[in-house]
Amino acid sequence: MRLEKYLEILPKSLWVMTCNSGSCNGCDIEIVATISPRYDIERFGMKLVGTPRHADVLVVTGPVTKYMKDRLLRIYHQIPDPKVVVVVGNCGASGDVFYKSYNLEGPVDNIIPVDVYVHGCPPRPEAIIEGVAKAVLKLEAKREELLKAGVEK
Amino acid sequence: MWNKVFTGFGYWDVISWLIFFFIASFFALWLRSIGRRDYKEGTEQDEIYWSGNPVPEDGAEISVPASSSYWGFRKALEPYYKVLVAMHSGHIRDYVGYYVVTAALIAALILVV
Repeated sequence: MRLEKYLEILPKSLWVMTCNSGSCNGCDIEIVATISPRYDIERFGMKLVGTPRHADVLVVTGPVTKYMKDRLLRIYHQIPDPKVVVVVGNCGASGDVFYKSYNLEGPVDNIIPVDVYVHGCPPRPEAIIEGVAKAVLKLEAKREELLKAGVEK
Repeated sequence: MWNKVFTGFGYWDVISWLIFFFIASFFALWLRSIGRRDYKEGTEQDEIYWSGNPVPEDGAEISVPASSSYWGFRKALEPYYKVLVAMHSGHIRDYVGYYVVTAALIAALILVV
């Protein structure tokens, strides 16, 4: 018997994969701050994972350089469905000061579909957590769709 | 045939080890069965994750071998290793010589002490 079938929430806590697509590392430091004792997202069961195979959420930082385009796509495709993409930082959301730079393929939504944008340079950890919380709702909706389509069990 | 064998150093019993093997196999398969099944076979979700890179034919192209992790130890202990490597000449007469010298030293130690 799989108890999660009877639950109205996700069968598991969100596991997050991060991809730095050319960020200055500022956003990545704030992402790491979310797992520090002050913010501690692990109390919600969320955690950063080292492989897309275990992830539900892809958090992307950076404006997507030409070099990173294929890699970002590959990581995105390697995450099992349902999945959501959260862009953290102005660079990933719009390109910010690097907008229309010769070396960019981004912003992120030029490459992969984005579900949640978290603005800031860098965003505060609270904002990142709020962004991921919004992603929960999106993920639930996607999971419902898959359930209706009979893809997900 | 299946009697217990007491070696004096431990315990060896075929039936016990078979039981242990099946219990361990059960847990291993159970853990495997609760893994994610919602990936799509035959797609990129099935491929090896190599930090987003295409999987190289020869991993040495883009990865540094783990042996380099210990370069500091090797550097610090270089004088010691130099002697050891030099001693391993590959000539059996050298090894027999070490054996004879060591046996003589131990014998002298035993006889004197």
